[in-house]
Amino acid sequence: MKNLAYYIGLCLILFAGSSCSKEYDNYPEPKETLTGSVTDVATGNPVQTDASENGGTRIRLDELSYSDNPTPYYFFSMQDGTFNNTKIFKGTYRISVEGPFVPLVQFDESGNITIDNRKTLDVEGTTNVDFEVEPFLNVEWVGEPVYNSADSTITVNVRFTRGTANPEFQLNVTDIFLFVNPFPYVGNSNKDDRYSNQINFNGTDGNSMIGETITITTKDRLPTNRDFYLRIGARVDYGLKYYNYTEVKKITIP
Amino acid sequence: MKSKVYILFALLAFGSAACTDLDIPPQNIIQDKDVFNTEGGIQIYMARSYSQLPIEDFRYSPTFGFNNFWLVNPFSATTGEALSRDLTRSVTEEFNNWEASYRLIREANYFLETLPQYASNFSEAQVKNWLGEARFIRAVTYFALVKRYGGVPIVDKILNYPEQSIEELSIPRASEEAVYDFIAADLDFAYENMSESSVPGRANKYVAAAFKSRAMLFAGSIAKYNQITLFDDSQNRLCGIPESKANAYFKASYDASLLLEGKYSLYKKAWVAGDKQAQFQNYVNLFFDESSPENIFIKGYKFPETVHGYDAYNVPRQLMGGNGYSAEVNPTLNYVELFEGFPKDADGTIKTLDDNGKYILYDQTIELFADAEPRLRATVIVPGDQFKGESIEIYRGIYTGSSAGGISKLIPENSTSNYPTANIVSSPNANQTPYELPDGTKMNPAGRSGVFTADGTGAVSGFSVRKYLVPDKPTSEVLENRSDQTWIELRYAEILLNRAEAAFELNSAGQADANYLIEAFSAINAIRERAGATLLTSAADLNSIDIIRNERRKELGFENKIWWDLKRWRIIDEEQNGTLFRTLMPFYAATAGKFFFDERLDERNVRYTFDTRWYYQQIPQDQISKSQNLIQNPGY
Repeated sequence: MKNLAYYIGLCLILFAGSSCSKEYDNYPEPKETLTGSVTDVATGNPVQTDASENGGTRIRLDELSYSDNPTPYYFFSMQDGTFNNTKIFKGTYRISVEGPFVPLVQFDESGNITIDNRKTLDVEGTTNVDFEVEPFLNVEWVGEPVYNSADSTITVNVRFTRGTANPEFQLNVTDIFLFVNPFPYVGNSNKDDRYSNQINFNGTDGNSMIGETITITTKDRLPTNRDFYLRIGARVDYGLKYYNYTEVKKITIP
Repeated sequence: MKSKVYILFALLAFGSAACTDLDIPPQNIIQDKDVFNTEGGIQIYMARSYSQLPIEDFRYSPTFGFNNFWLVNPFSATTGEALSRDLTRSVTEEFNNWEASYRLIREANYFLETLPQYASNFSEAQVKNWLGEARFIRAVTYFALVKRYGGVPIVDKILNYPEQSIEELSIPRASEEAVYDFIAADLDFAYENMSESSVPGRANKYVAAAFKSRAMLFAGSIAKYNQITLFDDSQNRLCGIPESKANAYFKASYDASLLLEGKYSLYKKAWVAGDKQAQFQNYVNLFFDESSPENIFIKGYKFPETVHGYDAYNVPRQLMGGNGYSAEVNPTLNYVELFEGFPKDADGTIKTLDDNGKYILYDQTIELFADAEPRLRATVIVPGDQFKGESIEIYRGIYTGSSAGGISKLIPENSTSNYPTANIVSSPNANQTPYELPDGTKMNPAGRSGVFTADGTGAVSGFSVRKYLVPDKPTSEVLENRSDQTWIELRYAEILLNRAEAAFELNSAGQADANYLIEAFSAINAIRERAGATLLTSAADLNSIDIIRNERRKELGFENKIWWDLKRWRIIDEEQNGTLFRTLMPFYAATAGKFFFDERLDERNVRYTFDTRWYYQQIPQDQISKSQNLIQNPGY
């Protein structure tokens, strides 16, 4: 019995000892930083997006250091259209972004690449990369949101215009959506369905609203004595139907 | 000396044993010659292939996959057709169908390559028929893949490892268009080579044509409505089909549907013109008559070998069987409102209030639906309707407030709030505490089939499903794995709807090589006549694709088809965007002694949101790990 205990002890020591390898890893840790932004080529403002992996701007990295056809690495931008990733391996990357704007890579009918605005660069230290894109739509606030104390709703005015002159991407506007959320992250994936309000357009109806001031009011009664964050999104019938957004506005309900 | 003799014996023994040929096929494994030499062997091979065919039947759910007995996540509860207590969200498939499909494709390819070596055992017609059958199975499997993932790798021969290298076997995805063309070619081959008839459950040439009409309609819709593009580096469009191809696909669908003309017909054995009860009964029988001329392709079940539990999971609560399941599929009011034959407001929604804004009162709940379209009552059990000789009691509670001067709406229009507790008695579950009515009699607060406020076991939407529920199954047999009604995968009504849709699309695209609008019009009217619905008066009435789409939803509801239709029309992301579906809640007004109905948004606040990425499902990550040439679909 005593022998058994010794053997077990010996085994444990062997196991513990063998794990104490001096070689930690054969590759440096990912410690490079990639920052950047996606901005509207016309205005220079960042292109607002969803703070979510469903509908947000996505950055795609293809590390070309080791393969011509690598497995892509994705991460998402913040809702203001900027991004910052501090855990990137050192290497050469082909970088592109996907979101509510004219795609960086375009194809003709037969699948030939006609436009390729991806950027290939070495990521080392802190590397900055900015993309200038043409958003599908520009969505802008018109005036400030107004709280209607009578029925405890908020009314906003908004206008959207085309962000691109490329007729291929001047597609039908499908809807405009007033998003309401009690937190500053607000968009199609982060909304309170009880109050957020959507206006759908049939066929080409939405296109005639371009440049018009549209008034939207929240649904139901908002609870009082708290803050709400508002944002308006509109989208065209393209691809995964990303929304273009206004900036976020905070409103305090008395 | 003696030991030398033993050694000699031993040598002799070894020596003679070595003369046996050891290089023989293993005796315990079935060889090709065992299978391909007899008709019975072929039948066994086919039986396995058919059993693996990806058909969304009684044993399918988007969360559990194919051939799963547990049906508590009904497909129809993610399309807007129904609400269910166990599936309370939009879902895309959460299982890996990829690998199983390619296994079946390999089996079909193996059959196609092996049978010709044994062809001398059979007549030429038999061989042709079976080759066609294998191509049919391969086509159906590819269709199951392409409608999920878009373009997938086309494998039309047996792959061998390690004879072929990994690089050679990492076949990249073909374009979506190429896969649909591959399906069409297989089905054309099947149509040309197969016999005219077959035993139920196996394909014949007309089954192949019917599947072609379905697959080509999908391809046409993708070409016309899809907005998602994905190319690989070799100019293959993995997601999406050029819009210019739409008409060719619609035409192929239309032409394929014509091949079935005169071979199948709508089921009208018990149908009588002008007799709604007969039309209702006829529509109920349609799903149970094994000799129905409408059945094109079926999947059979037989207790006790192959079974499912459709009755046990979906029977109304008051007829619950011993396993304690019931009422998983509860049709939404949105679905019911597609039909006709009950009072409606100008906006097409059900009319529950009189001109003064007070609830309309009824002696019995069934009165509201007394004149309903027969097909509605045969598809959905409306409150108070008969099933298995009982009136199915569905009500939400007893209203105890005053009814003098009429009862006003309990909650505002489109409100998401719960019903007030004042003046309403309800029941959280089936253990009810009877409420004493003003006349002294006692009444349970909810009907025997719900609506229960807490456990959701009753008709949470105010309706229960009727389609496919066996009308005379004794409650003692309403058990899991005890049902064996036949699944009708393809029936002639769908062919007429395919034809109508393809014809309408061709007509609106300006195609004039046939009188497409008239064809669509007569197909829709044939469906409506059998359903007991109002006919379109002229082809000019057919002025919107929505008429055809809604007809399809009504006719094929709860048959696990609508999800794919909503996807190929690319409209489900609009329909399900923070959406609450509507329900119809019957109440008993105690002081009036009558029932009234309240239409409201789902009180459980179950919201549906379709993720636009789901138009193309995610390719399983483990498959990409195995074959790096597979490009993931957009957004994943």
